[in-house]
Amino acid sequence: MWGLRDMSSIRWAVLCAAALAAVPALAQEKAATKPGFAFPTDHAIRILVFRPEVRAGSQSAGGATTPNAEWTRNARTNIMTALTAARPGGAAEVAFIPDAEGDAAAVLADYRALFGAVANTVLQHRLFKGDRLPTKKTGFEYSLGPGVAKLAETAGGGDYALFVTTNDQYGSTGRKLLQLAAALATTAAGGIGPTVTSGQHSGYAGLIDLKTGDLIWMNADARMGGDVRDADGAARRVTQLLEDFPVQASVAAAAPKP
Amino acid sequence: MIARWPATAALLLAAAPVMAADLTPTGSPSAPGYTPIGRDEQGLWAEADEQERELKASKLIVRDPGVNAYLRRVLCRTVGDGHCRAVRLYLVRAPIFNADMGPTGVLRLYTGLLLRVRDEAELAAILGHEFTHFENRHSLADMRRRRSATNWGAWLTVASIAASAPRNYTPDFLVSYYSYSRDQEREADLGGLHRMSGAGYRPLAASNVWMHLREEKDAQARGLGVRSLKDRDYGPFVSHPMDVERMTYLAREGQALTTPATSFDGLDDYRRQLAPIWPMLIDDQIKLNDFGASEYVLANLARGDWTGPLLYARAELYRARGLIDQLTAEALYRQAIVRDDAPVATWRGLGLVLLRNGRADEGRAMLRDYLRRAPDAVDRAALQAMADGM
Repeated sequence: MWGLRDMSSIRWAVLCAAALAAVPALAQEKAATKPGFAFPTDHAIRILVFRPEVRAGSQSAGGATTPNAEWTRNARTNIMTALTAARPGGAAEVAFIPDAEGDAAAVLADYRALFGAVANTVLQHRLFKGDRLPTKKTGFEYSLGPGVAKLAETAGGGDYALFVTTNDQYGSTGRKLLQLAAALATTAAGGIGPTVTSGQHSGYAGLIDLKTGDLIWMNADARMGGDVRDADGAARRVTQLLEDFPVQASVAAAAPKP
Repeated sequence: MIARWPATAALLLAAAPVMAADLTPTGSPSAPGYTPIGRDEQGLWAEADEQERELKASKLIVRDPGVNAYLRRVLCRTVGDGHCRAVRLYLVRAPIFNADMGPTGVLRLYTGLLLRVRDEAELAAILGHEFTHFENRHSLADMRRRRSATNWGAWLTVASIAASAPRNYTPDFLVSYYSYSRDQEREADLGGLHRMSGAGYRPLAASNVWMHLREEKDAQARGLGVRSLKDRDYGPFVSHPMDVERMTYLAREGQALTTPATSFDGLDDYRRQLAPIWPMLIDDQIKLNDFGASEYVLANLARGDWTGPLLYARAELYRARGLIDQLTAEALYRQAIVRDDAPVATWRGLGLVLLRNGRADEGRAMLRDYLRRAPDAVDRAALQAMADGM
């Protein structure tokens, strides 16, 4: 976005971070589940999935990212296909929330934004060490509030809502050459110099109970595998995103809803 | 030391062709049916489209049809009917002076800006500025420039380590990147100026916006009892030129463009068209708790002609500050309410302030009057209770 006025302190920080990009993410992969949670066993569950937030692009030698339209399009399609096939937790049905208009669209946008805000605090203050809040070291008490029932209505009924976010910036040839050159130069200089990493692949997923609004489960990974640009890679990525996903115990009459 | 150079140089050479080769888009991006050209522009557009999906549904968008139609009319008059169709203009509820333009023609205008331009001509200068960013593909140029700056910085840094003279070159290149960004802003300022004056708007209005913004910073500082930041130089890592510079070059060029054919201000129309969202704009501004700046903004909009809506706004500002200002607020509401153009919310404000000022019967009557005039008031239940003397 190109503003009328300067808002550049943030951009400056982002640029510096991108330029160095030598600091590896603090932690790798973490998941948490609400204590005591179990899927109900009296009926088959239906999971509504929000349009996955997918970014795919390339990382230049200096660390700047360039979004790639084709990669992003393919990645989203691949991830959606893989999510449906994965049937998280043994769900009978996985449905993507269709695009909406008017008030329904506003409800969806509200909850997407709210989930984003809650997910950010979980990522920053709960899952990873470093900035963990003293009262959040154990337990897993986060909720979007019971108003989420509206969300289920909007999307034609469902028991849980699943959010998925991925960000893939593939190291360009320039980046890989820089990585090599930096390693050579650093070795020659007696080990003093920057460590350049190539590529950024991160993602997280979260599950919301559509009756209570409670956050049931969340999993985040700052270094993910699986090339989302192709179907097999995306399937691997989805498996990683759904690691530690709660599983529904066998349902008495587990026949999918007609 | 020198012996290490060949290896690094070979790598640099090997990297060169990889970094190049993307199509350079041509033609106007605002032309009907334009589709992005080349990997970079397509990537930017796809990302922007995704952001627009979110923006479109956001609660922060002001959807008043009259106001939106008016903003679009001003845009189309400024940039021409053929070009304005490609622009999607979103009025975003945020009490700040800003606007921005994405690569695909998504123009976000923040509501705080509507209190800081005084008439249609000043608004046209802003819309022309943003349109120039779009038409001249500034997002794309910016992304490429940033990429090349960080690439050079990284490579030279690594080369300097190989040459045993380690130094981080990235800041040097970022300085040049920001300098380029400021050039883009100057280009957009002047492009906007030429567009608005070409449409018959008064060219010197463009400079005025920046003059008033500086004066507002002075007024804000006075109100807070601190030193004004209006001419604070934030150094080389700043994306936009300083306000004082923009004020100056826009005045110089604006004078040159002034002719009898460029005299339209559109003051009355601007005031009338904003009426439906006026109480919201005022409420959001007052809640910034920035008395000095708010009072300046209102006086600047009034230009000595205190209309009903402006008197109402000033009364609200004083009522919010409390204490002895309640009496000033009452006097201002009374000045507003006798005018034909008093907003309906004036009755509400006067009623509330009268309850505070010990004139309970008159205050309750005023609130009942307000509820008759505004049957859909969002705080109806609370006001009804007060009107009933609870």
